[in-house]
Amino acid sequence: MAQKSFRQALNEALHFEMGRDPRVIMMGEDLTGGAGANGVKDAWGGPFGVTRGLLDAFGPERIRDTPISEAAFIGAAAGAALTGLRPIAEIMFVDFAGVCLDQIMNQAAKFRYMFGGRAKTPLVIRATYGAGSRSGSQHTQALYPIFTHIPGLKVVIPSTPYDAKGLLLQAIRDDDPVIFLEHKMLYDTVGDVPDGAYTIPFGEARVARDGKDVLIIAIGRMVQVAEEAARKLASEGISAAIIDPRTTSPLDEDTLLDFTETIGRVVIVDEANPRCSVATDISALLADKCFDALKAPIKLVTAPHAPVPYAPNLEDAYIPSADAVVKAATSIVKR
Amino acid sequence: MSSIEAVTVPKWGMTMTEGKITQWMVGEGGPVTRGQEILEIETTKVTNVVEAAATGTLRRIVLNEGTTAPVGALAGVIADEAATPEEIDAFIASYADRLGSGDEGEGGASVPRTITVDGGTVNVLEAGPESDETVVLLHGFGGDLSTWLFNQTALADKMRVVAVDLPGHGASSPIAGEDVFLKIVAAVEAAVDAVAPGKLHLVAHSFGGAVAAAIATNRPSRVGSLTLIAPIGLSRQMSRDFLVDFIAAERRRQLSSVLERLFADPSKITSDMVEGTLRFKRLEGVPEALSAIADTIADDSGQVQSIGGQLKDLPCPVTILWGDRDEIVPLPQSTEVPANARLRIIPDVGHMPQMEASSAVNDAILETFQRG
Repeated sequence: MAQKSFRQALNEALHFEMGRDPRVIMMGEDLTGGAGANGVKDAWGGPFGVTRGLLDAFGPERIRDTPISEAAFIGAAAGAALTGLRPIAEIMFVDFAGVCLDQIMNQAAKFRYMFGGRAKTPLVIRATYGAGSRSGSQHTQALYPIFTHIPGLKVVIPSTPYDAKGLLLQAIRDDDPVIFLEHKMLYDTVGDVPDGAYTIPFGEARVARDGKDVLIIAIGRMVQVAEEAARKLASEGISAAIIDPRTTSPLDEDTLLDFTETIGRVVIVDEANPRCSVATDISALLADKCFDALKAPIKLVTAPHAPVPYAPNLEDAYIPSADAVVKAATSIVKR
Repeated sequence: MSSIEAVTVPKWGMTMTEGKITQWMVGEGGPVTRGQEILEIETTKVTNVVEAAATGTLRRIVLNEGTTAPVGALAGVIADEAATPEEIDAFIASYADRLGSGDEGEGGASVPRTITVDGGTVNVLEAGPESDETVVLLHGFGGDLSTWLFNQTALADKMRVVAVDLPGHGASSPIAGEDVFLKIVAAVEAAVDAVAPGKLHLVAHSFGGAVAAAIATNRPSRVGSLTLIAPIGLSRQMSRDFLVDFIAAERRRQLSSVLERLFADPSKITSDMVEGTLRFKRLEGVPEALSAIADTIADDSGQVQSIGGQLKDLPCPVTILWGDRDEIVPLPQSTEVPANARLRIIPDVGHMPQMEASSAVNDAILETFQRG
């Protein structure tokens, strides 16, 4: 099977679905990759190189660059979805979702509910998230807990190139608004990705590794951290299973509960701030539904409850590390 | 003269690079007989047991439980009573130099390649030394080339072995529509021609058995032997529910419960196996291809294919292996087995003897093509 980067996998999904379905359009800032000052089109392939070639393939009618006004174009995208198009709107950094939260939270997320199921909102909002790129506090947050909290939104956080392609195709074909979050530090990771089209259903976690001593539940890029931790734990004789929920809304509660009941020891690794987060939400779920199966307290390994620092050494320290996961896992396996 | 034999970390599957010793089933100083299960090893994909390759005493445990070591590492030493402790120490010391001396790629992992044929591509995984004769492994409905996890590497010690993803499975492209069976046979023949000139020893499981029988009938001069594992086409009975449920299963839990029916011991199912199966099932065009293949396997009144007539006319040796607890394709009546085929029934095994009793299957495969 072909080895492709996370970036290529996303690009393939966009190319495939825009070719298959003429209702799919894209809008966002600098999507056409360098349009503007010097008149060069598709110079970068979009701010992160994900949308390269789409302008040539599908033209400016379907690939729209927008002004720097998220509230305007996210609102336009939500309206376009209501009227029968299938828009993909790109917010360059998820941190700027705040300025268009009314369109997302108060409009798009509620249309199906408020119109008695008669309105569809097939809107995908793609955005980057995550620390590690030296982008400062306003460009690096992991804000998926905010979206996960809002009923009516589906929230997708892929961790592998394979999942990125299959989940993005699923997102574009979904009739509800989907927040699709791409970690900036994952774009260059490489993995097996089929050339053909495929979809991965929402609400199905991926079992990234089988194990029997401790269960590590990891979100987004933290799956890589969990895998590094599992290798270290294996050298210490501790067998760690890893589950990647892939979507936080809907959440695959069954798989999380099944594995927790079997293994009994859980570490949750999440790059987001710890208060009112996906990690705390899953922890509460497990404590509520299978408390009797737990052999030790659930351990959370998260970023601190602080903005992301700009200083490289502090930013590195902010991100949950494999050593921190090993320490947490060891503390509950050997207690 | 003393006899000293190594117990090493085996290579289960072409992508395996290391394993963790989870349990020694014999203590140091304990007697062992050839074929006895002595060691349990866990990998990221499977947990399986290692059988003793010699009879004697487990004189030394080199890798203790909990240790993770690379493929080929010396885990223990079996020797007879004549071997002195100094000889065993020297043997262990000499083994350190052998590790990593193989000629495989980085990390010891091999990668499949894609062969272009009429109507699509066929994915193959090659192993073993170049030779005029090639073992070709064909999996069953719903499987892929990883079905041969415990067989391909073991057989590749002896000769060249090519595992094939059938069309509509693994990383091969789907084929559907009219005459799907004939198209699959033609695609496999074209792929095999491209990678395996010379004599072929076909080893095939379940639905793959009908494909192998057709290839052997089409090319009797090229096929040196045929080993069929629970093949379709000998009787009318089979679980059509398995085919229907397999196609319908779109999520991991659902599919896992379907795959469990394949094994006498359902704990053999790993998340990796389920994930791998879902990956090809989710490719566009594959559900349609699987439905078309399922229709060529069975209808409401039972199996559609019939291979008995083809097998009885083959000039090459034919061995048929069956698990006695097979719930998918039940053991045929003795009258339904062609007279020229040797039937071996493997106890306490379901529809996947090549995974549940890999040593017995590997021995039977070697024995069959030595007759060829």
